[in-house]
Amino acid sequence: MEQHQRRSLLTRLFEPPSIGVMAPGTSLIVYGLLAFWTAFVLFPIYWVLITSFKDALTVNTGPFYLPWVDFKPGLHAWRELFQIDYEDTLSAFLNSIIIALASTALCVLVGSMAAYALARMEYRPKFGLIFLFVLIMVGAAAAVGFLGQDWRLAFAVALALFVLLARAVGRYFKRAVGNGDILFWMISQRILPPVVTVVPVYMMFQAVGLLDTHAALIIAYAVVNLPIVVWLMHDFFATIPIDLEESAQLDGASRLTTFFEIVLPLAKTGLAATTLLTLILAWNEYLLAIFLSTTRAQTMPILVAAMNAGERGILWWNMSVVIIVMIIPVVLMAIVLQRFISKGILVGAVKG
Amino acid sequence: MSDARRLQIEKLNKFYGPVHAVKDLSITVEPGEFLVLLGPSGCGKTTALRMVAGLETVSAGSIRLGDDDVTHVLPKYRDVAMVFQSYALYPHKTVAENIGFPLKVRGVSPAERDAAVRDAAGQVHMETYLDRYPRQLSGGQRQRVALARAIVRRPSAFLMDEPLSNLDAKLRGHMRAELKHMQHELGVTTIYVTHDQIEAMTLAHRVAIMSDGVLQQLGPPREVYNNPANLFVAGFMGSPPMNFVHGEINNGRFRSDGVDLALSDANAPSGAAVLGFRPEDAAVGPAGEGRFDGGVYASELTGDQTLVTVALGDETTLAVKMPKDYETEYDSVVSVQFPANSAFLFDADSGARLSTGLKG
Ligand SMILES: Nc1ncnc2c1ncn2[C@@H]1O[C@H](COP(=O)(O)OP(=O)(O)O)[C@@H](O)[C@H]1O
Ligand SMILES: [Mg+2]
Repeated sequence: MEQHQRRSLLTRLFEPPSIGVMAPGTSLIVYGLLAFWTAFVLFPIYWVLITSFKDALTVNTGPFYLPWVDFKPGLHAWRELFQIDYEDTLSAFLNSIIIALASTALCVLVGSMAAYALARMEYRPKFGLIFLFVLIMVGAAAAVGFLGQDWRLAFAVALALFVLLARAVGRYFKRAVGNGDILFWMISQRILPPVVTVVPVYMMFQAVGLLDTHAALIIAYAVVNLPIVVWLMHDFFATIPIDLEESAQLDGASRLTTFFEIVLPLAKTGLAATTLLTLILAWNEYLLAIFLSTTRAQTMPILVAAMNAGERGILWWNMSVVIIVMIIPVVLMAIVLQRFISKGILVGAVKG
Repeated sequence: MSDARRLQIEKLNKFYGPVHAVKDLSITVEPGEFLVLLGPSGCGKTTALRMVAGLETVSAGSIRLGDDDVTHVLPKYRDVAMVFQSYALYPHKTVAENIGFPLKVRGVSPAERDAAVRDAAGQVHMETYLDRYPRQLSGGQRQRVALARAIVRRPSAFLMDEPLSNLDAKLRGHMRAELKHMQHELGVTTIYVTHDQIEAMTLAHRVAIMSDGVLQQLGPPREVYNNPANLFVAGFMGSPPMNFVHGEINNGRFRSDGVDLALSDANAPSGAAVLGFRPEDAAVGPAGEGRFDGGVYASELTGDQTLVTVALGDETTLAVKMPKDYETEYDSVVSVQFPANSAFLFDADSGARLSTGLKG
């Protein structure tokens, strides 16, 4: 009891009065920071929301923040985008949905299988062979670029040449890389600033005649997001007890059945989180979209950006409407996938 | 059952890099036999079992199931079922789905599958839990589901890796009896891995004792217990294990600190040797009336008997089982007596059993 009396102000502020209770000083700081962060995150959304109900005059005559108090909200911008210009908005919206969903599906399917392979099988590709492959492919690219060869022919020949050479000299190479190296190599592709690769990527799609198509963006996004999917899913797969898969094999399941029947359902949590992340990345992507699409495959971010390129200056009100339209599907998706991101899936698998 | 098959393991070897985990293991398990692979932790039991299952590649040697060489066959084509120490139940599947999984992947029709699942669940008394998930079951119930999943497809052989070691002592005893009953009913060729010699003694038709990847002795539990082939087997079996007195053979006598006993073979070759006898074969009596004398170091009443520990010199303590009403003073000098035919002599260096015994 006596100790209670002698506690300094600092102790009384920051030491919990009893277990399971936060000290007043601590809770002040914690909730203060949380309030600040909430305001920081929510304010832009609030701003976009009210701006979408403003007209040119209200925007230009000064910052107004309170509808009905500061300014009179109107549906002017909504009408413009949904009645007058609705074709552009709708096509960009559909493009975004198709491209995001398709690229995510492709990316998650291929990526999770690759991640599983890296988590469960051992690869020891030889250094020399990797080097050889890169060399031959560069040669093929040069043949296409400088000599004007047909790219299909060039790469077919290069591939055949590589297979032949690999068979002939492969066993003389000794140094090999392991799964960890492969994983790191994959993620290292995200270290490069994307803008570095955008011109070659543009030229590649030009060469195969896919510019301004859904396919171009679907393929590009799937490839760009693949390392993230592989990296994340690898970690999720690694936490699944291997006993379960061995048991499935003895029960008579093939590798593929084991993957789809046992592994994937158990990695559901990770799969949902990864899917959501990939979806958001694809949905918001701007750089590749601006290079690879012009009109037919235009996505929402491009539409938003286009709002400040017109002869009328920056159309804040229209931009706000498009942004709100853009946010809604992502929020819906997050709510849907949230259900799967629940814990405790592995309880009861082993021991207990 | 008619489809039990013979399982032949021949000169099986496994290397993990420089580690030689299993060395020239040769065992033939007869159709319907319950063979227990027994040994201390790390001796290579799991590795041997996993090679039989096809989960581990074989470095050298062969595995035959019936007339088929399955050494390099994929696990799914081997027709063996395995019960894992961890049970390995699929957490996202119900009990019924878990048990039915081996049939499902074989394309058995749902109706047929359902009947088989009910039958298998009935065998392990789990019919009323079919709709539960593994997380809603106790350890013993999970164990039963794992067993049901193994028996549902009537495999040619069962493999079990320490299936009872995650259960508490009481449940373990209960499940042991059930396992034995079930194996008898089904008559499936079984290899059962354990480090628990009581499990081995109670379950096995024959026990294979391993140490450091090498098979030490293979025989019925009684024979392995009564007639150990070497020092390792003698010391591993029994609870408490066999008593050992380290000494020397010279001129047809075994001598150690305070011990001097005549051998049955007066011409036994000289050298360092170990005398062994089991606690239950021995008795303590008044000083000077037994084979040698020692001091009482401890006396413990274990319930049905009294375990007397006798100190012989500074290094050796010997356990002797006495009736439960036996009482003695600490530090008093007593004699240890045991019949000549329950004494064993081993070569101290190789551990091999010597052909000589004690006289009279
Ligand atoms: N995957 C592995 N890689 C390297 N060494 C292993 C591996 N698995 C087992 N070992 C080694 O092989 C030996 C036998 O192991 P194990 O068969 O698991 O023993 P037990 O089941 O009898 O306890 C041990 O020394 C262990 O360290
Ligand atoms: Mg083991």
